Amino acid sequence: MRRLEVDGIPAVLAPVTGPAHAGLVFRVGTADEPLARRGITRLVEHLVTDGLSAAGRTSWTTGPEHTYFHVQGSPAEITDFLTGVCEALRNPPVARLATVRDLVQGAQPERDPLPMWRHGARGFGVVSYPEWALPGLTAEHLRDWIARYFTKENAALWVAGDEVPAGLRLDLPAGERQPPPSVATTLPVTPAWFTGGVGWDTVIARSPSAAVFANVLERRVRRDLRDLTTQTRTEYVPRADGTARILTIAEPLPEEPEAAHGGLVDVLASMRAGRIDPDEVAAVVKLTCEGLRDSESRGARLPGQAFNLLAGRDLQPLEEALAEVRAVTAADVARVAGEAYDAGLLMTPPGSTAEWAGYTAAPAMSETMPAGRVHRGRRDPSRRLISGAEGIGVTGRGVVAAVRWDSCAALLAWPDGGRHLIGEDAVTVRVEPTLYRNADRVVREVDARIPERLRIEMPARDRDRIPRPEPAPRDGVARRYAAAILCGVLALFFVSGGVWILTQLLAGPGTGNPRGEDLLALGGSVVFGVLFGRYSWAITRELGSRRG
Amino acid sequence: MLPAMLPRQPVLDPAAAYPRITGLRDALDSGDWPACRAVLDAADPVERTELTMIAFAEPGLETFLRGVLDGDPGDGAAAALLGQHLIGAAWRIRTSARSEQVSPERLAAFTDGLVTAERLLVDAAARSPHDPAIWTARLITARGLRLGLSEAHRRYARLAEIDPHHLPGQWQFLQQLCPKSGGDWARAHAFARETADAAPRGSFGPVLVAEAHLEHWLESGLRYLATDQVRAELHEAARRSVWHADFRHTHGWVRVVSTFAMAFALLDDRPAADSLFTELGDLGSERPWDYLGEPGSVIVKYRKRAAGGGT
Repeated sequence: MRRLEVDGIPAVLAPVTGPAHAGLVFRVGTADEPLARRGITRLVEHLVTDGLSAAGRTSWTTGPEHTYFHVQGSPAEITDFLTGVCEALRNPPVARLATVRDLVQGAQPERDPLPMWRHGARGFGVVSYPEWALPGLTAEHLRDWIARYFTKENAALWVAGDEVPAGLRLDLPAGERQPPPSVATTLPVTPAWFTGGVGWDTVIARSPSAAVFANVLERRVRRDLRDLTTQTRTEYVPRADGTARILTIAEPLPEEPEAAHGGLVDVLASMRAGRIDPDEVAAVVKLTCEGLRDSESRGARLPGQAFNLLAGRDLQPLEEALAEVRAVTAADVARVAGEAYDAGLLMTPPGSTAEWAGYTAAPAMSETMPAGRVHRGRRDPSRRLISGAEGIGVTGRGVVAAVRWDSCAALLAWPDGGRHLIGEDAVTVRVEPTLYRNADRVVREVDARIPERLRIEMPARDRDRIPRPEPAPRDGVARRYAAAILCGVLALFFVSGGVWILTQLLAGPGTGNPRGEDLLALGGSVVFGVLFGRYSWAITRELGSRRG
Repeated sequence: MLPAMLPRQPVLDPAAAYPRITGLRDALDSGDWPACRAVLDAADPVERTELTMIAFAEPGLETFLRGVLDGDPGDGAAAALLGQHLIGAAWRIRTSARSEQVSPERLAAFTDGLVTAERLLVDAAARSPHDPAIWTARLITARGLRLGLSEAHRRYARLAEIDPHHLPGQWQFLQQLCPKSGGDWARAHAFARETADAAPRGSFGPVLVAEAHLEHWLESGLRYLATDQVRAELHEAARRSVWHADFRHTHGWVRVVSTFAMAFALLDDRPAADSLFTELGDLGSERPWDYLGEPGSVIVKYRKRAAGGGT
């Protein structure tokens, strides 16, 4: 394995047994995208490869931190493709933007909900969101993005072959090496849980022990959840900042989400408790070493080495990598398992929690509301929209959501006036003018406060997608108390009327003719009695139906 | 003519039937963990699980067991005992009423208690994955915390891998399969029948058939129990269990015989009930008689009737 430079770009070269291949990687990925530009890297990636010659086997991928263009073929094919990518980056074919955008929009990547709960609506968390920004991205946006990230200083090359193809020219604009994306976290306490499906992830220091732990976990999850899932997937993803994400996702059988969840809880608890089988670790170490040797012979270790160059790390020779993996013991894996568990984020199936397993609920709402002008809900005064100098918030119907003006990650704006503000902590404030009194004023404030670069214009909504005000659900307890008091008062009048008449009758035969007061008392008593009976009947029926 | 003597009161204290309970209670009382372990380790798996489920009320028991676990987090026996102790305390707060009749405050305290127990048991099962007492306790927490039928099933499968005839866990899983806990009668009866069929002759397992019918009776009334099919199934189950020559008076037998006795007593099958009351002698168990009221007097009443002394 040799380190060299091609047109000022750091490169790594290694001979391979199979066909030659090469890749050009840039230190840019979804974790660099602000939410209001989510999808822009993928759009650039597709735009610059659009129309390139299809000779050789080519592929391109945008990951969280890296975007690369890969080609396998003859030296001429490698040269054609990579030189073509660089030319397209210098002069993007923006005339094709609309066509390529349609293509990209038609193939949206699978969404991973965990990062949003861990990182919020920024950095590594952005990947959890849809690519809302795609329709609004202009040629100007793309040129700015390319100028910042797709530069000579921010690129690295790998070549799996005997030498760098003679005609390879990588003519990229000058720029700056971009630092690793910031790893902000919104989780106040871990291990934490949220509802979404069956899965778990953690972020720990990257190390050979962590990689072996991930492999042992993969085997344990597959074995213990075999009868409960259609498939399970475990990944170890090293990051440029020296950490690694370990992710496990399970697809439960239709009847088994709770069992798959329980099984995953038990696997994690068991590994945390240090139940790591040394034989299993030995087996994983052996397989990992075989995998490394195989990767080396195919040149499959080269992308990782190129990523290392971008992160300012040294190349790692195979023997060194093998020695590190061979040194991993069951005790090392157990130590990593403890760290991984402590930093874990568990995803539970709908209807399930994980408090019982010792996990803390990840915050889904805001703790405080900004001070400001209150707009009450239409037909439902328990709803409130609050707009103030610091930020904006909504409360009511179990929702407490606030976004500070200065920590808004994106504003979704609909033509009907609907505005959704997504905070950097992933809390969303839904300003729906149909639901609050005089909310047009708030919409104008939002539009004035949120800078253009955070705004995403959304396509018009169907009429039935626009929320309509509904009366507040009645408070059952308060209503029953009120009804009981009314019943009591009616009963009191009924009884006192009766007592009055009885007293008058007993007091003496009198004239024999009922007086006006007696008739009044009798009439009143009968009316109150009837009302009392009616109300009691209604309440009894209601209570009966509640029990049922 | 009335008999001259007072009716014999049944002895409901399980320690009367199972002397190891007294040994364990004394050892817990004196805070002697090695002695507790000696009792538990000498017991067979079913007896050991049953012993962890006795409602010991020794003061300071929780502190004592937590101390044992701090010293050795891998002690499955201590974890099972502490887990069951916490579960018992939580259930006493809840009472045995149906959930809609329990106040929200009580339900919240009950859930908190079970969560404490379950967290301990998650760790215990991680450290001692082959301990049937821990999986039995986790079947109770799964039901109380409403973790779902599929999760309870997974836990029962883990238990059945260790011991396919572990009656204390089977009682718990049967409860889970009843409609009141989210199951249905078809599943409950199917589980009871399968367990009975798989159980060795003369063992306790077929009692689940009677238990399932009693649970069904509790919901549907006597008319359900009095059908020919149920009657026949009860007799068949009793023949495979309490009336079988291989039936042994090992730990748990009193409740097994009592369950059949109650089923036959409700059916007014006096000879069948009488034979079982005779076998029990002075011994009795709270369950299942507490379904009918205060167990002591209920047992006296039905025993008398079975013997032909009452109406």
